[in-house]
Amino acid sequence: MLKSKTFVKKTRSGGVMKIVREHYLRDDIWCGSEACTECKQESTVLQTDACMESSLCSYPHYLIPDTNVVLHQIDVLEDAVIRNVIILQTVLQEVRHRSAPVYKRLKDIIHEKEKHFYTFTNEHHRETFIEREPGESANDRNDRAIRVAAKWYSQHLKTSESDTDGLKVVLLTNDQGNKQKAEESGLLYLFTCILVEEYIKSLTANPELVDRLALSNDDKNEITSSKVLFPEHLPLSRIQAGIKSGSFVQGTFRASRDNYLEATVFIQGEGEDGTEILIQGLQNLNRAVHQDVVAVQLLPRNQWVAPSSVVLQDEGAAKDDNVEEEEEEKPVLLISAAEAARKATGKVVGIIKRNWRPFCGMLNVSQIKESTRHLFTPADRRIPRIRIETRQASTLAGQRIMVSIDGWPKDSRYPNGHFVRSLGGAGEKDTEQEVLLLEHDVPHQAFSQAVLNFLPKMPWAITPEDMVRREDLRHLTVCSVDPPGCTDIDDALHCRELENGNLEVGVHIADVSHFIRPGNALDKEAANRGTTVYLCGKRIDMVPELLSSNLCSLRSNVERLAFSCIWEMNHEAEILKTRFTKSVINSKASLTYAEAQMRIDDTNKNDDITKSLRGLNKLAKILKRQRIEKGALTLSSLEVRFHMDSETHDPIDLQTKELMETNSMVEEFMLLANISVAQKIYDEFQECALLRKHPAPPPSNYDILLKAAKSKDVAIYTDTAKALADSLDVAKVDGFPYFNTLLRILATRCMMQAVYFCSGMDNDFHHYGLASPIYTHFTSPIRRYADIIVHRLLAVAIGADSTYPDLMDKHKQSALCNNLNYRHKMAQYAQRASVAFHTQLFFKSRGILNEEGFVLFVRKNAIIVLIPKFGLEGTVFFDSKDKVAPSIVFDEEGPTLTIQQHTFRIFDKVKVTISLDASNIQHQKIRMALTDPVIPGVSVPVPDAEPQAKKPKLDR
Amino acid sequence: MATVQVSEAEKVYILHGIRDDLRVDGRGCEDYRHMEIETDVVSNTDGSAKVTLGHTAVLVGIKADIGKPRPLVPNEGYLEFFVDCSANATPEFEGRGGEELGTELSNTLYKVFNNKHSVDLKSLCICPGEHCWVLYVDVLLLQCDGNLYDAISIAIKAALFNTKIPRVRISTDEEGGKEIELSDDPYDCMRLNVENVPCIVTLCKVGHRHVVDATLQEKACSVASLIISVTHKGTVTCTRKVGGGSLDSESIFEMTEAGKRVGKALHAPLMNVLQQEEHLGKKKQKVGFLG
Repeated sequence: MLKSKTFVKKTRSGGVMKIVREHYLRDDIWCGSEACTECKQESTVLQTDACMESSLCSYPHYLIPDTNVVLHQIDVLEDAVIRNVIILQTVLQEVRHRSAPVYKRLKDIIHEKEKHFYTFTNEHHRETFIEREPGESANDRNDRAIRVAAKWYSQHLKTSESDTDGLKVVLLTNDQGNKQKAEESGLLYLFTCILVEEYIKSLTANPELVDRLALSNDDKNEITSSKVLFPEHLPLSRIQAGIKSGSFVQGTFRASRDNYLEATVFIQGEGEDGTEILIQGLQNLNRAVHQDVVAVQLLPRNQWVAPSSVVLQDEGAAKDDNVEEEEEEKPVLLISAAEAARKATGKVVGIIKRNWRPFCGMLNVSQIKESTRHLFTPADRRIPRIRIETRQASTLAGQRIMVSIDGWPKDSRYPNGHFVRSLGGAGEKDTEQEVLLLEHDVPHQAFSQAVLNFLPKMPWAITPEDMVRREDLRHLTVCSVDPPGCTDIDDALHCRELENGNLEVGVHIADVSHFIRPGNALDKEAANRGTTVYLCGKRIDMVPELLSSNLCSLRSNVERLAFSCIWEMNHEAEILKTRFTKSVINSKASLTYAEAQMRIDDTNKNDDITKSLRGLNKLAKILKRQRIEKGALTLSSLEVRFHMDSETHDPIDLQTKELMETNSMVEEFMLLANISVAQKIYDEFQECALLRKHPAPPPSNYDILLKAAKSKDVAIYTDTAKALADSLDVAKVDGFPYFNTLLRILATRCMMQAVYFCSGMDNDFHHYGLASPIYTHFTSPIRRYADIIVHRLLAVAIGADSTYPDLMDKHKQSALCNNLNYRHKMAQYAQRASVAFHTQLFFKSRGILNEEGFVLFVRKNAIIVLIPKFGLEGTVFFDSKDKVAPSIVFDEEGPTLTIQQHTFRIFDKVKVTISLDASNIQHQKIRMALTDPVIPGVSVPVPDAEPQAKKPKLDR
Repeated sequence: MATVQVSEAEKVYILHGIRDDLRVDGRGCEDYRHMEIETDVVSNTDGSAKVTLGHTAVLVGIKADIGKPRPLVPNEGYLEFFVDCSANATPEFEGRGGEELGTELSNTLYKVFNNKHSVDLKSLCICPGEHCWVLYVDVLLLQCDGNLYDAISIAIKAALFNTKIPRVRISTDEEGGKEIELSDDPYDCMRLNVENVPCIVTLCKVGHRHVVDATLQEKACSVASLIISVTHKGTVTCTRKVGGGSLDSESIFEMTEAGKRVGKALHAPLMNVLQQEEHLGKKKQKVGFLG
């Protein structure tokens, strides 16, 4: 049967278009119930004994939630208790239209077999399709469609079932009106219609579900005082009109980490750059939450202010809800700033898009005992505290939990939210790791079945088809050199002498793009993950383990597919010929850096592998020299490695990473391969090559480095990379061997982030750090998605693979780059956070330590000290709240900090005592205190190695 | 125009018949052939109608779009006509063969319909001087069996009757910028008043008499015809003479009178049928093109 759907739409040019869609109704849509005998379905989803222990519905029943229930209570629906649910197509479509993240979660639930969620395409069912009637709004029609479907189900189940007191359907709604309509139309004798809150409360076996209910609008007024705290948000239509006319600007809200009354709104400008607008004060912030897209109105110029440098944490919340407002506004910043420091200031007038996600954090249990309302403090300081309702406060205290925001009414100081799930006890390693991953937005769930379906079937072997466009390089003496314990080996090398006396050097990279075909679920998942994240003792893979540690990993003595880059070089490391080919290799050895080093150094060994390594090493040295001559920077950052206890996975020792000749040997050839490939793909695809650039830092970035060097009478030139590299090389101070390393660490901090980009969208390709005019990532496709794209581009360039439209679309390519850059940044932060956490664990077990360190930076009220032994940086504060500040004189020119006769300069050697400050369980940190030089009132006496019981000042 | 070959003997036969008020197919001189009307036949137009008159078949679709009013009449909307002579109708229209006829037809349609006396053009105004509705009237000739003008005019009137223009509102923001807002209810729409929309009556001079709704054979016997547009009150809004022959003033007068009479009689049943069909609403049995 054919029906048509008609609607009118406004076109972008201002015209009006009538759109007619054909809509076919069918009679072969089955109900999906196991109990049904009428429907000719092959498999059923809904169970016969659909028992959920509800005091309201004692009979087995199926649930039919309406759209608002799904939108607001998705957390409840996700719970394992809720099973046998019918999701109507009407609901699914509306959810998709209104919230993409909820839609995705709903789809995930539907795919989960144990949940028994069934999608009923009621819109295409002959008996449940309804047409919109005159005077009926779209929402009313959908509500009616849901009721009609519920009616159909109950009648259907009744007729198809033999025993009478069998299955029923329960329509879940959170709209009184909908319930009333169901009652009025006399449908209730057919099915039950229950408000979702009542239903969840009636689930006697699972009282904890109540906490996960999102607060609906009706509940809000009950919680808050009637006092209106915030100005009303403007409706979207007025915001849009305002943005069009230029009276408002649209931007991303970024709350300040240090000051809860301050934020900036980042306005995306033309191209890369953007401007920032400062927002100060609760009223002006107007309920915006970090990462929301907001509309901002600029204040008149005379009200502009300068960002304050005060650190303010929202502590008013520790008190109970009702007395909180009084002293709230006190810290509103009345600092009359110097004219020059003032910045464009504005106020938030409306929210264009909320970007709320579930937040990790901890509960501040209310002081009133029976209270069910508590405040929740997110781990991310930029997120405001959230008020939630729970009856399990006592169990949740001391746990890391996740909370979602439901809304922020204008008369409430804090947003309202609900409990989502508990992650585990605070301070436990697994919990903290989970928090770390969630807070850095690292996708870390196990790979879904849809993704795993695209893996090759085991046992896997190379087939003749695979060989068609591949070169057989199995006879070559290829070997890989990696850090110890590495299972995802993505590169291998070989070097041999040719008959004409030249050397042939090959870099063989795992051919991941052979296994990951464009566009499938596996590819999409990898593109989303963007990179493998290495945490201490844990690896979050970008591709499933079968690929990362087995089929793609170039392990020794197995045949593996590879993408090879082969050069012919003379003994001066000049490239005579370059070629790329897909290949099959058989690695003869997988070595660690140390093993490779030993082979090279051991003069007795003369086997093929060793010869090959020696040849590589010799060439690498020449290459490195050439590169440095061109102005590549050798920078330094201390990387630490934990020795983990094999049983408990607790860190037992930590040391800084050591670099060997072989490290740089491998690195040199990887760089060479990357540069060669970058040139090749750019020559072939001017518009859509994926490259990596490292912009030169603006001169002002070097200020701190120049000042620091000057204080030791060392001259540093930063005009070009070459000048910088050369001046760093000669920068030495007698009797201070560590000086050069410190200087390089400082120089590293001056650098910009390297980023991926699409060649068609940019024209500055230069890689500053490597002093290369063009660069890309080719050598680690197992752990970086960018490399997979580069592999595909190169494969197309040499005719080894076919192309696909997205690969050649520079806008899609550019969007992909943005995601990859974001993921890389987040992965880096997560890695650092993981190291920091393990450092804390380490110091927790060690108690108090006394160490020697160097002053790395001098700040207004503190010095930052680097302890080379642990690669640890810490801040020594000289002013604290409870102590009278000693006389501190800060000189920005030096920069120096004089405290009672003693002057601190960058590079000063100091002694500190290190301990773990666990006073704030959410933000544990390493505390350092000065022991040498001795400054009365500032430094502390050298404590014994025995841990000193610190008085934790609990904030709850 | 599609023509048929008629022999002299046939012509004489037709002429003699008309002289005695008896036409070849049995009609009287002022009788129309069997007529069928169906509205709302093309779903993606805002209004449509299909009319068959004998073997003549025309389809009219009306699309409403927002445009800029003509500078001279800022508070009125306007109509645009396009006549497509499909090669389906007759092989002569193939290629650009139908173009000339199409232009001729649409020129006449402009004269007849595009004025404020026929259609309430002021109701098409959305915002004076800035936005108005433009009704694009597309006429498709499906089959030619004479008397195209009458069939087209009836179809246009029916289509205008059927036209549902989405209701729009003008919202003004504080800066004075105007924004057109569309109602999201598909039933919320504006109807046109078609009371004054005229119908065209074509009278063919055959011998000493004249006939309405001439078939192609009759047309071949006629040397000149008069096109008259008549409103439901019998007011003549437009006349036009087509054909090579000449008409004396007396017969022009006679033909105009006959046209008024026939036209007036045509309107009442037409409106009746349209209202009946409208009344059926969704229960209407659709015939479409296969019926």
